[in-house]
Amino acid sequence: MIVRPATLEAALALRAAGPARPLAGGTDIYPAQAAAAAWMRPSNERLLDLTGIAGLDRIEADAEGWRIGACVTWSALRAAPLPAAFDGLRAAAGTIGGVQVQNRGTVLGNLCNASPAADGAPPLFSLDAGIEIAGPQGIRRLPLPDFLLGNRRTALAPDELAIAIRIPQPAAAARSAFRKLGARSHLVISIAMVAVLAELRDGHVTRACLAVGACGPVAQRLPAAEAALIGAPIAMAPALIAPAHLAALAPLDDLRASAEYRRHAALILLRRALAEALA
Amino acid sequence: MPQVTLTVNGKTSTVEVEGRTLLVELLREKLRLTGTHVGCDTSQCGACVVHMNGESVKACTTLALQADGASITTIEGLAKADGTLHPMQEAFREYHALQCGFCTPGMVMSAIDLVQKHPEGLSEKEIREGLEGNLCRCTGYHNIVKAIDAAQAVMHGKAASIAPATV
Repeated sequence: MIVRPATLEAALALRAAGPARPLAGGTDIYPAQAAAAAWMRPSNERLLDLTGIAGLDRIEADAEGWRIGACVTWSALRAAPLPAAFDGLRAAAGTIGGVQVQNRGTVLGNLCNASPAADGAPPLFSLDAGIEIAGPQGIRRLPLPDFLLGNRRTALAPDELAIAIRIPQPAAAARSAFRKLGARSHLVISIAMVAVLAELRDGHVTRACLAVGACGPVAQRLPAAEAALIGAPIAMAPALIAPAHLAALAPLDDLRASAEYRRHAALILLRRALAEALA
Repeated sequence: MPQVTLTVNGKTSTVEVEGRTLLVELLREKLRLTGTHVGCDTSQCGACVVHMNGESVKACTTLALQADGASITTIEGLAKADGTLHPMQEAFREYHALQCGFCTPGMVMSAIDLVQKHPEGLSEKEIREGLEGNLCRCTGYHNIVKAIDAAQAVMHGKAASIAPATV
C-alpha cells in the first residue's frame, strides 16, 4: 500500500492516522523489501511517498545557512553551486551507490534510514547539520547527533516527518574532504568512512571538525583530535591525529573487516582526508 | 486499484497497478517491454536501468506509482522506426561489447545518460567510473568502454559514424 499526498499537511495527517513509512527515492527500502520477500517475508507496511509534495526538492540558502529539502537527490546535491565547505559532502554524493542510485536516493533519506554506514552522516556531522522536523505541533529542529539514536533508530516520532537538513553557513575559508574504504569503490557497504572540515589562517589550522562513520552504531565527531589540531601548521597537522583520539569508536568485528582493521583504516583515512582538505 | 499514467518510448499509457508494483514489473509484465532485464532485484547490477525524465534510474527499485506522469525510455525506444540503431547500440555491436547480452540493455541506457551528461567528452577513466552502477560478468568491460568512447564521438557530432573496431 502506498499513498502519495500532494501537500505536507496531507502527509502529516496520513502519518498521524496510522503507521506509514516515509518514502523518497526508495533506494534503501526496496532492496530490503526484496530481500525479505525472497525469504517469504513479504512486507505490507504502508508507504508514504513524499515525492509528490512540491518544494521538498529544493536546496536553498538563507540568512541562517543552507536548507536541503527532504527530496533532494544525491545527483541534485552534486550539481548544486555549494561552497568549498561542502566538497566533502559532494564527494560522498559521488560515491554513494552508482549514478542511478544517486539519481533517485536522497540525502535526508540516507540519514532517516540510519544505517551505521550511511555515507552522508560523517560529512553532515562535520558541517554541524541539524534536522528540520514537521509534526502536529509545528516545526522542531534537532542537531544531527540528537536525531540519529542508533542502528536504524532516529528521534522521529511516528506522527512526524523529517523535511529538511539545516546547515549553518560555513566560514568562507572552510575546506572539506571525504574518504571511504570498501571492498570496491561504489555500491558496497563501507568498512570505514571519514569527513574532515578545516579552517586555516596564515598556514595554521584554526578549526577542525572530524567525523567517522561505520565505526559504531552512529557516526561521531572526534573532539580530542579536533582540539589537538588547533594551531598546527598545515604540513604537520595530519600526523597529529593519533590512535588515542579514536578511542571512543566502537567498530564492529564482522565479515567486512575486523574491529582492529576498521580502527586503523579510520586513522589513515582521517589523515589523508585532512591532508586533502588542507591542500 | 491505483492507476498510473506514464509515457513510455513516446507512447502514453494508463495502467492499473498494485501499490507495491515496481517500475520494472510494469514495463515487463503490463507493457510487455521485456528488453529491460531484472538481474539482482536490489539495485546492484544495473540490468534494469531505464531513463526516467531523462535520467538513468534502476527500475527494480522504483515504484511504478512514483513514475506517475513521468516520461520513460527503455532499450526498445532507442532505435528508429526503420530499424536504424542508436549510435550507442551500433557501437556495442561494432565493438562486440557484449557476450551473453544480459547486462546490455542496462549498460546501453546508462552509457547514453553518461555521454549526454558530459558534452565535454569522457576519458576512459571517467567512462569506467560512470559504469560503477552496472555489472557485466562476461566481457571484462574493455569492449564496453571502447564502444562508449566510439559512440560519444557520434553523439556529440564529432564523427559521422561509429569508428570501425580494430583487431
